[in-house]
Amino acid sequence: MARDLGILIIAVLVLAATCESAVLSPVSESHRSAALELFSPADGSYGSLEETYEALKTFKVLGIEKKHDIRTSSCASVADTLKSTSSALKDFVDALRVNSILKCELNSEAVRGTQSRFKDSLNGANSLIDFYYSIGGLVLLKEQMSEVDVNLGDADRIFRSIKALGQSDGRWRLSSNNPESSNNAAGIALEALAGVISLATPQIGNSLITTLKNDILKLFDGIERYDDGTYYFDEKHVGARGHQSPLSSSASVVRGIAAVAAATSETLNLPGEKILGLAKFFLGVGVPGSAQDLYHQIDALSYLENIRQVLWKLTFFRALYNKAHPDLKIYSSDLDFVAALVRVSTVLGSPAPTLSVRLMQIFVSGSKDASVIDQELKFDAVSGMHVLETLPKNIDVGSYVFSFEVIFHNPEHKKTYVSGGRTRVLVHITGVIKIDNAEIVILDGDRGSVETQKKLKLPGDNTVALSANHLQKLRLSFDLSTPFGNAFKPHQAFLKLRHENGIDHIFLVGNSGKKFEIILDFLGLVEKFFYLSGRYNIQLTVGDADMENSFLQPLGFVELDLPDAPEKATRPPPQAVDPYSRYGPKAEITHIFRAPEKRPAKELSLTFLGLILVPFFGFLAGLVQLGANLKSFPKSTVPSTFAILFHLGIAAVLALYALFWLKLDLFTTLKALGLLGMFLMFVGHKTLSHLASTSSKLKSV
Amino acid sequence: MAAPKFAFLLLNLISILPLLVSSFSVDRPTDRRILVLLDDLSLKSSHSLFFSSLKSRGFDLDFKLADDPAIAVKRYGQYMYDGLILLSPSTERFGGSLDVEGVLDFVDSGHDLIVAADANASDLIRNIAAECGVDFDEDPSAVVVDHSSYAVSETEGDHTLIAADDFIQSDVILGNKKIEAPVLFKGIGHSLNPANSMVLKALSASPSSYSTNPSSKLSSQPPSLYGTAISLVSVVQARNAARIMISGSLDMFSNRLFRAGVQKSGSLNKYEKSGNEQFITELSKWIFHERGHLKAVNLRHNKVGESEEPSMYRINDDLEFSVEIFEWSGSSWVPHVSKDVQVQFYMMSPYVLKTLSTNGKGLYHTSFKVPDVYGVFQFKVEYQKLGYTSLSLSKQIPVRPFKHNEYERFITTAFPYYGASFSMMAGFFIFSGVYLYNK
Repeated sequence: MARDLGILIIAVLVLAATCESAVLSPVSESHRSAALELFSPADGSYGSLEETYEALKTFKVLGIEKKHDIRTSSCASVADTLKSTSSALKDFVDALRVNSILKCELNSEAVRGTQSRFKDSLNGANSLIDFYYSIGGLVLLKEQMSEVDVNLGDADRIFRSIKALGQSDGRWRLSSNNPESSNNAAGIALEALAGVISLATPQIGNSLITTLKNDILKLFDGIERYDDGTYYFDEKHVGARGHQSPLSSSASVVRGIAAVAAATSETLNLPGEKILGLAKFFLGVGVPGSAQDLYHQIDALSYLENIRQVLWKLTFFRALYNKAHPDLKIYSSDLDFVAALVRVSTVLGSPAPTLSVRLMQIFVSGSKDASVIDQELKFDAVSGMHVLETLPKNIDVGSYVFSFEVIFHNPEHKKTYVSGGRTRVLVHITGVIKIDNAEIVILDGDRGSVETQKKLKLPGDNTVALSANHLQKLRLSFDLSTPFGNAFKPHQAFLKLRHENGIDHIFLVGNSGKKFEIILDFLGLVEKFFYLSGRYNIQLTVGDADMENSFLQPLGFVELDLPDAPEKATRPPPQAVDPYSRYGPKAEITHIFRAPEKRPAKELSLTFLGLILVPFFGFLAGLVQLGANLKSFPKSTVPSTFAILFHLGIAAVLALYALFWLKLDLFTTLKALGLLGMFLMFVGHKTLSHLASTSSKLKSV
Repeated sequence: MAAPKFAFLLLNLISILPLLVSSFSVDRPTDRRILVLLDDLSLKSSHSLFFSSLKSRGFDLDFKLADDPAIAVKRYGQYMYDGLILLSPSTERFGGSLDVEGVLDFVDSGHDLIVAADANASDLIRNIAAECGVDFDEDPSAVVVDHSSYAVSETEGDHTLIAADDFIQSDVILGNKKIEAPVLFKGIGHSLNPANSMVLKALSASPSSYSTNPSSKLSSQPPSLYGTAISLVSVVQARNAARIMISGSLDMFSNRLFRAGVQKSGSLNKYEKSGNEQFITELSKWIFHERGHLKAVNLRHNKVGESEEPSMYRINDDLEFSVEIFEWSGSSWVPHVSKDVQVQFYMMSPYVLKTLSTNGKGLYHTSFKVPDVYGVFQFKVEYQKLGYTSLSLSKQIPVRPFKHNEYERFITTAFPYYGASFSMMAGFFIFSGVYLYNK
């Protein structure tokens, strides 16, 4: 039984972090495994230097020790690219970028050659991309080779000519004859300008830098916002380079701003909310599925940390509640948290500076009432977690919103870190709900007297067998209470009656306080039940997000005896056919052939054949008896010939009949019969007239 | 002069040939070109595992935003795509000329469709689903909640992330390999129209689930959708073999849920990886006709002992019937082996219905006696099996009665009559002689 459980486990779950959106974890193991999976070189090297750089940069930021040994092949390809005179500017830059990570040993001759290429193209540059690559190349050269002279004499002019491509809304155009401006280009331009600033000797004037800062702020005015506080740079235009996703253009802008911030070493005073929103955007992508997206995400997050460190709060609750004396009344203070943990880290998962986390407010979910609490969480240095050790009073099973705030110990940190103010977390405090006094009763309709009463064990196996007619009622009742004895209303309390033929009826079980009760008055339900008598299986479902022991229980069945359906009653709805029985082979059909006619036995027919032949033999015997003879057969030649022919003719006709029976058809037979008939007429006439004349001669004699 | 020209033409033809072969055809039922409509291009990256599994299987995916004005599935009366994937639950209107009718026409002409809805799905998506026999919960804020078979999660506590494992029992739809891990589902539920016999539940909710808005208390009305009546993912196979998959969750296609581990509440089994990837991949194989596509060829019949097909049978003839059935494996036609292929000898209703025996190499055969009823019959093979395209073949054949000379002669029973006639005839012959010449 539930009440005998010595230990109740209360698990407290967190639904959501900041502003009740889905929990976004900072960059974690899953990013690392995805990076290794996405950036896996095909036979020892990547397709291009650009890809190599993206892979190396991502690995570097994520702190992955190189699993793939690509150093030799990549360095060779870097050296080749730098030596070649036909390579495009972009390839030089990519080669230098790869080199900046791999630190290959390069031939200084080749490097000097590239330097002049960069300078030449910078002088002749008129599109943003040209500026970007040639300045980017020079900056990389400056970083990598201290001996190379990369300083720009006419930095002001270059700065102004890049600046000329800028728009009033903070976006940039890719070249002066292309009117389309984009955020992506803005990021590229900012990066290029930052390069100019860092290369300039003498330094760029302050006024130019101030206008640049204004441009950046303007760019932030055009940022897009989602309802949950996520900010991103959208790209409206589909340029020649194909569609730029918001991820790549946001990453480009972040890269640009970071470059400017690094070059000017000034604070940009960017709104912290928007920086946090951008971080949210990059983390909201989750683990991207394409290598390039992953690079953009990780790269942008690493630059974002350079601009302002974004603190990310993750909250976990794992609580154990030990209930030693189940029969004693329990107070909220008995609730003993082992741990409620808040972990604060930066977006890239590195630890936060010293700070404290305070639980400020607790709201009951769905209502505005807040209990104000100001409780500091204890920092556990070993796990790096902030621990809420005791749960405030009046907290019972249910859903609450906890509001946490981060407070920096060092006020200087407020400038470098963005923490996003208060974080609201939806917390489900779950527990085992006690179910008591469960019973199912059949009531007599008129008097309300109890006909049958069955106690139920919930949750547990129950098989009640009830029977009722349409004048009776069924009552199901049970009590629900939290471990603290308070009333608990679950979200789901359904009573389901299912008829044998599969028609379901579902009822909500209502409550007053702890007591849940439903009375089914069958008289009022006959219409709804389509007048279907028979067995109804009873099923009770009680469930809630905060209820540990949500259950679905068959309770047994009730045999209902309902009146016959009147003429006009609605028919039950059609039930879906089971797909497994819908198909499959049909029963075989064999044709029943007509039975052959009944025939007598063969012997019988043959006996009758014998009997039929008896008169013929009798006739022959009679002839012999009477002394029949052929004495008056003509003697002279001619009449005897005719007589023989006549009798042969008769025999032929009879033979023809036999043939007709055996094989001939009617037409052949009639044809032959016609010929034979004419012949017979002739010879018959001759024979008979001869016989007549002979007999008349005899008479006259 | 003519010869080089001819050779040039031939070369041209040869270069066109592979193009013709690779496009959708009766001989190669697997789809090739697929249009993917998205709400947001970031789905391309967040759902990339799904897309890359399609690409790796040779599909040519064309991604477009759902409101892109350049969307067109048809040009000059020809469809440019074999399949359509709508991962755009919130789109109220497609860009370009595509609309609900356009999508339905696309399906009616035998093309395949995958629709993913989500909480707050637009009317457009609901209408498309309703036309396929799937009714999403009308409450726009309702999602499927299940307090008994939810996925245990550290971060989500409202039991809307469901661990569903009630799959359709069909190897052809979900592959031979059993899906061990439950599938994670977060989205809206739908019910199937009972009058529609084409639509099947591929993934059903558990009996304790219901469709509701989890953040508000239930009103006095019970939820309209509950229990196993809720379908989470449904599939439709139309009569023209077009296949449709409708899912109430867009998230179930996402990389996040593909990679997520899963533990179903109340179960101790913890899976490293959810069943989503296997489920979606296998189901998409079925949807895009990499599996479960049948063809029947060489329908033959003849009299026993003969090999030529007669133009007509006589009643009571013994005949042999055979047909070959092949199954598309994604790359080639392999023999279909089954024990439930049946043939009917049919005139208004089946006179003979017989299960065919098979040699395991695709040939199905049987023999039976033609019924003693004459008229115009048909050999009918109506083969419908869960998950397979249906085969419906018929061949007409007349059956005639006996000719007058085909009846039995010299029946023993009639011997007395024959005897009587012939004894009469013999008697007449003798009598005629005796009568004429007696003295």
